[in-house]
Amino acid sequence: MHDSGEIASAGSMWLAAILFVITYAVVMSERVNRAIVALVAAGLMIILGILNQEAAIRGIDFNTIGLLIGMMVIVAITRQSGIFQFLAIWSAKKVNASPWGILVMISLVTAVTSAFLDNVTTVLLVVPVTLLITEELKANPYPYLFSMIFSSNIGGTATLIGDPPNIMIGSATGLTFNDFGYHLTPAIIVVQIATLIPIYLIWGRKLKATAEDRQRVMAFNEFEAITDWRLLKQCLSVIGLVVFGFIFAKWLRLEAATIAIFGAAALLLLVNLGKSADEQSKHVLAAFNEVEWITIFFFVGLFIVVHGVDSTGLLKVLAEKMIALTGGNLSATAVIILWSSAILSAIIDNIPFVATMIPLIKAMAPSFGGPEGLMPLWWALSLGACLGGNGTLIGASANLVVAGFAERAGQPIRFMQYTLMAFPIMLLSIAISTVYLFWRYL
Amino acid sequence: MTAQNLMNPNPVTLRPTDTVATAATHILTHRLRHLPVVDDQGRYLGTFSIYSLLRLTLPKAVIMEEGLRDVSFTTETIDGLARRLRERGSEPVGQWLSQDDPVMHPDTPTMEVMLLMLRGRTTSVPVVDQHSNRLEGIIAFWDVLEKLLVETR
Repeated sequence: MHDSGEIASAGSMWLAAILFVITYAVVMSERVNRAIVALVAAGLMIILGILNQEAAIRGIDFNTIGLLIGMMVIVAITRQSGIFQFLAIWSAKKVNASPWGILVMISLVTAVTSAFLDNVTTVLLVVPVTLLITEELKANPYPYLFSMIFSSNIGGTATLIGDPPNIMIGSATGLTFNDFGYHLTPAIIVVQIATLIPIYLIWGRKLKATAEDRQRVMAFNEFEAITDWRLLKQCLSVIGLVVFGFIFAKWLRLEAATIAIFGAAALLLLVNLGKSADEQSKHVLAAFNEVEWITIFFFVGLFIVVHGVDSTGLLKVLAEKMIALTGGNLSATAVIILWSSAILSAIIDNIPFVATMIPLIKAMAPSFGGPEGLMPLWWALSLGACLGGNGTLIGASANLVVAGFAERAGQPIRFMQYTLMAFPIMLLSIAISTVYLFWRYL
Repeated sequence: MTAQNLMNPNPVTLRPTDTVATAATHILTHRLRHLPVVDDQGRYLGTFSIYSLLRLTLPKAVIMEEGLRDVSFTTETIDGLARRLRERGSEPVGQWLSQDDPVMHPDTPTMEVMLLMLRGRTTSVPVVDQHSNRLEGIIAFWDVLEKLLVETR
């Protein structure tokens, strides 16, 4: 990782470390927008001479950036078709609008959708229709929202494109969509089912609704939720092709960002065919406006900051320290990574954490027989960082979005009340992950 | 000419403790779209309007920020909606005020009054004293129109 143009000396190592710690602290304080913090810190990395511009740009993982932007554009267009409302209503009717059945189905819809889309987008789409259903059932929305937070973070862990930590890990290691599916999805299915058990015991068995109220939900016509059939067909075809692309990426020799951006471009082309230049501009602008630029620029700045720290050799020193601590034992290292990622991700943003851990774990390769030997550590990092986000209300952005809805619906989710239930259930998911890692790899 | 000369200085007003049902009766009997709500000192608190009534008849999941944009899949009848409104009929109007509607001051120029009506797509705007926040009157579109037509004649 020591490119030319990057200066590594004890002095710059300290400077980079201080800048890095301050960046983390300011991001955690949430007093300054995180994109601003990351960009200012990235600029300082260059101005203070730790990196030059060329090296800084090399530090940005454009595969991650491209994949995020591509998927965001595809989702921005697809959500207009009403498909997500359709899925929620359809699944609620499949269980005869029974209150517990709906909770399970909505959780599964959230998990599966989150596995392929951004978690925040998923909850933005599924929470409003869920609130309408609970209102019709006169049921307390709290357990539904609680379960949706968990399901969005759990489902997101299942695939390469489900959650930013996985996107970063995949991009940095060359692990494919299929690798993630093969290695993580089995664990995630168990975790999702196991999570529903305490939710059933705490709330589920007490959920009730009258036959009359259930009839009101059964009367919903889910096909009317689809606002534009032509658009839906276009979106589903493109998403199908994109997933096909991810699955066969290795044989097609294509990287994730190419597939996602090309999919976004193809979808934009399809929906704009035959429209006037003016209308096209409006449509394209609307789609681009839904890209979460704060997240994108946060990533850009963060990649530069972490690259700056990495280029000074600091992360290598830390990796050696960690190996020394575990005596070069792979199982011990995996368990430490899993549990520390989980607990830290419950409190801090998992994106900067994972961005830092990636070069650190890479530096451990020599101790574990090369990059191949690191596999269990990547799965430990992904499971810990993604599932850990469930631990508190601030553990993941999707949690905060759901809490915002709860507030507006007049059923606020309190921080401590949530943590008291959620933290133990999150630890349960990490315990399951530990067993899974030992059973399969260690 | 300013808002002072255009306004009706004695509008029908509500107290925040008045019920939704009372407000609905006023709206229906006087065919008013906007009712200013004032406290004991006559200070302006917000407006209860026909839109507040519409919001009251709809589920929260629909009217909330970032709520459902499209509910064409629902099959609720007018009876269902009426029941929801009835259930909320005894709630005080204080909870259902819109506070971000435009207001004017007695010295707001006529052209500004008209521009506010056009931009806010509203047909009546409360006139509020800048300092005490007291409700001085209300300007309905009809008052403005009447004056305009009389002047041109």
